[in-house]
Amino acid sequence: MKSLGSIRRDFAPWIDPASTPFLRFEGVTKRFGDFEAVDDLSLSIFESEFFALLGASGCGKSTLLRMLAGFEMPTSGRIVLDGEDMAGIPPYRRPVNMMFQSYALFPHMSVEKNVAFGLKQERMAKGEMADRVEQVLKLVKLEDYAKRKPEQLSGGQRQRVALARSLAKRPKVLLLDEPLGALDKKLREETQFELADLQYQLHTTFIMVTHDQEEAMTLADRIAVMDKGRILQVATPAEIYEAPNSRFVADFVGNVNVFEGTVRSATGDRVTIETSGGFDIVAERDVPVETGQKVSYVLRPEKLKIAAEPISGPNVMEGEVWDIAYFGPVTSFHIRLDTGEIVKVAMVNATRQSPLQLTWHDRAFVTFDEDAGLVLTQ
Amino acid sequence: MGWRLSKFNVVSMVFGFSFLYLPIVLLVVYSFNASRLVTVWSGFSTVWYRELWNNRGLLDAAWVTLRVGLLSASIATVLGTMAAIALARYRRFTGRTLMTGMVYAPLVMPEVITGLSLLLFFVAIDLDRGFWTVTLAHISFTMCFVTVVVQSRLVSFDRSLEDAAMDLGATPTVTFFQITLPLIWPAVAAGWMLAFTLSLDDLVIASFTTGPGATTLPMKIYSQVRLGVTPEINAVCTILIAIVSVGVIVATLINKRRLVRQARNERLAAEG
Repeated sequence: MKSLGSIRRDFAPWIDPASTPFLRFEGVTKRFGDFEAVDDLSLSIFESEFFALLGASGCGKSTLLRMLAGFEMPTSGRIVLDGEDMAGIPPYRRPVNMMFQSYALFPHMSVEKNVAFGLKQERMAKGEMADRVEQVLKLVKLEDYAKRKPEQLSGGQRQRVALARSLAKRPKVLLLDEPLGALDKKLREETQFELADLQYQLHTTFIMVTHDQEEAMTLADRIAVMDKGRILQVATPAEIYEAPNSRFVADFVGNVNVFEGTVRSATGDRVTIETSGGFDIVAERDVPVETGQKVSYVLRPEKLKIAAEPISGPNVMEGEVWDIAYFGPVTSFHIRLDTGEIVKVAMVNATRQSPLQLTWHDRAFVTFDEDAGLVLTQ
Repeated sequence: MGWRLSKFNVVSMVFGFSFLYLPIVLLVVYSFNASRLVTVWSGFSTVWYRELWNNRGLLDAAWVTLRVGLLSASIATVLGTMAAIALARYRRFTGRTLMTGMVYAPLVMPEVITGLSLLLFFVAIDLDRGFWTVTLAHISFTMCFVTVVVQSRLVSFDRSLEDAAMDLGATPTVTFFQITLPLIWPAVAAGWMLAFTLSLDDLVIASFTTGPGATTLPMKIYSQVRLGVTPEINAVCTILIAIVSVGVIVATLINKRRLVRQARNERLAAEG
């Protein structure tokens, strides 16, 4: 496997055996009656990491976050933060703070009172408190709005107040529950970068829960993909995207073509797969496979090349243009192969005038390199 | 829009309002009657208000009623709010269904039965009947109304506000007094008003549970009317109507002001 590193250079404590995790979930299980929300989950998170829990709703990611905040107690297992077992510690004594999905701003308090609320609970001196409030409000660029009430703010401003309030106490870990979920698309993109910058400046450990894979990819150092209370894969965004360890992860993160097949031959670093559609795929052999084994071959749409003229060589598929969607930066083609399968191809529009003149029902030829896709056994 | 009332609308409105308010208007008008006879108009006068001021019996009764109302409404509000929180917050505890039923039962219980059972209870525990028994009785029958009002507010209360407060280091007690209570305050106040009003005009339960020296105003009025209506009664009732009307108008104005402020805030938020 080629290395797919983290975006932040020189920050990868998870591959350093000498570094100790800052936060550990050890065999954590949470049951609500018969329903198992979190199932024997273990996870290590490092200091000043930006970590994302990614999954569909009901996968247990929010429960995990609420257990860390202290709102739910694990049915079994331990949560250890900075060497301290969190069992039995109520939410108001934990060194973590949470930014809520609904922001949960106190409507009867001004922006500065909201931000100062947590500081007041620890009986901070008046002068120091005023300084701290000013400082965090400056951090989120809301210093001019200190006297306003939450209902006098726009959605984006409210989001930033919520962020400032959860940062004011300088928690060891900041928990973010769908932090950008309530913002519209344009604002979300801007805020993503602001949030990433902020985390970089503060060196606070951030743990974010999200169902939006794009959000997780943009912000996180590492992502844990969750399903049915379990973690399927923990890896950097690039690894999750380019080297998913299962069909579920491949399918959940981004677009993907999946070909089911049987290994016909596996020699050296090559593997040949006979797909159920009847054509052969020659691929690099990343994982140990045996002849006759059932495997899936997953291929991202942008790794495929499309042409109007016949191409020679291995890994060529032929079909008919079934659908075209123009997105601006890319054009997406759906090609219906002669074997009946639909293959998604994304073509980057590198020039203003596309040299490829394909339209509905034209014949099209699709090809890909041997290292374009991934052989998966689960 | 320029829509106008049809003849039918006008007629039905006149009938409707007359049905509701004509008796009250008559009562108010006759409180300013110079004659002692309630049904004969003999000129405007405020003599009965002056008479009322000298009527110790009525004034004492009014004072008792006020004290019972203030005390019972306040205690019922505390207890009713606590019950509402228990019912809204703790979704799973043993006996929850039973408690819900028991809290709400007094709403539909005939007053005669409530009054009688309270009387029997007070006799059984050998409690001297008077001011305190009336107050206790009023607490027990107005509490459920407070619970209903407060619970309906709590259902729409955003729990994450409480979570956020605790997350920021506030203990459950601090959270309740600094976050929950200030936000459900209007419902608690409405519950108190309701309890106070119910206590103020209760006749049946008070009659059962009262004793010497604790005659409430409704009881006094009722007993006097049996001896013949005097314009003094009209005067007392007019004052009561005036107090209630002022209360309603003030509440409406406060609500109106809140709506105006909300609209202004929304505009401010949109401007950024």
